[in-house]
Amino acid sequence: MDKFSLFVPNFLPCKEYFVPEKNPACPGCGLALAIRQTYKALEADIEKAEWVTAGEGKLFAKLFDKSPVGNSEPSLMRIKKSGGELIICFDNEAGGSLDEAAHKAMPAIAVAEGFHYVATASPSFPFDLYEKVKKGLEATGKAYIHMLCPCPVGWQFDPELTVKIGRWAVESRAFLLYEVGSASAYNQTITTAKPRPLAEYLKPQYRFAEISEQQIADLSAVVESNYKKLTEKIQPE
Amino acid sequence: MESTAKFVKSMVECSLLDKGLGRPFKPGARREATPEWDKDKCVRCGLCYVYCPDGAIYRTEDGLFEADTDKCKGCGICHRECWFGVISMVKED
Repeated sequence: MDKFSLFVPNFLPCKEYFVPEKNPACPGCGLALAIRQTYKALEADIEKAEWVTAGEGKLFAKLFDKSPVGNSEPSLMRIKKSGGELIICFDNEAGGSLDEAAHKAMPAIAVAEGFHYVATASPSFPFDLYEKVKKGLEATGKAYIHMLCPCPVGWQFDPELTVKIGRWAVESRAFLLYEVGSASAYNQTITTAKPRPLAEYLKPQYRFAEISEQQIADLSAVVESNYKKLTEKIQPE
Repeated sequence: MESTAKFVKSMVECSLLDKGLGRPFKPGARREATPEWDKDKCVRCGLCYVYCPDGAIYRTEDGLFEADTDKCKGCGICHRECWFGVISMVKED
């Protein structure tokens, strides 16, 4: 071989756990990609994983009681481990009846409920996702990971853009990738020095076809305030 | 005409051999385009393998990559994610 070579999957386990023979997912499914990468991180703990739809009692579980997030029922995964559990939410923004504000605040609610490890992840950043799931498994007590999975059918974009859209969501700061360790120590894992304009993230999605420029400006103000809140938490003065 | 004749023939064959018209479902059956690698340009980085949602891409013995046609759904993520523009989507007839 007279060329330089960098084999990227060397950083991931090469064994395939998510190879269903009758995989019914649509072409370019972000959810399938996220599940495949999560299964790679779980490895030995894969047998303890189970799909849950709803819970009772606490506010955190009650929010999911109203409607399952996602087009099909199982979008929450629970992995039991010693001294707690790891809950992973695969969010494709399809739960219409769910209160949008509460929906976006799921990681914040998890922090308030005293979870020991809370993180947001995206399948467009596979190694970031891999490390977060590993950390969630190692953390003592409860852990929660929120994953944004682009859905070509629901969001109405070209299936080949799935990974790009997930990346643009992070680059435009619409979806911030961070983790909260014990003692609520915030850490932003993926940072962007020059944020991408929000319109570039919204435009390829046909569900935002009728959005006006005023609405885009309003949304980008919300995005900026969210980013400010996170930076204040990272560096408390 | 030829295609209808073929269809009728297959129907008769199926009924005679008691096979039935149903075939086992394969996820890649409804694919519109198939990824193809330019083997001279490929740097063997494996990004296409990492981003494939269906786990259809595998590594051959010489370090290059190929798509399993039974699993590949032709979404085109590998074509879009390849840094070097090695993968092209070839439309099927």
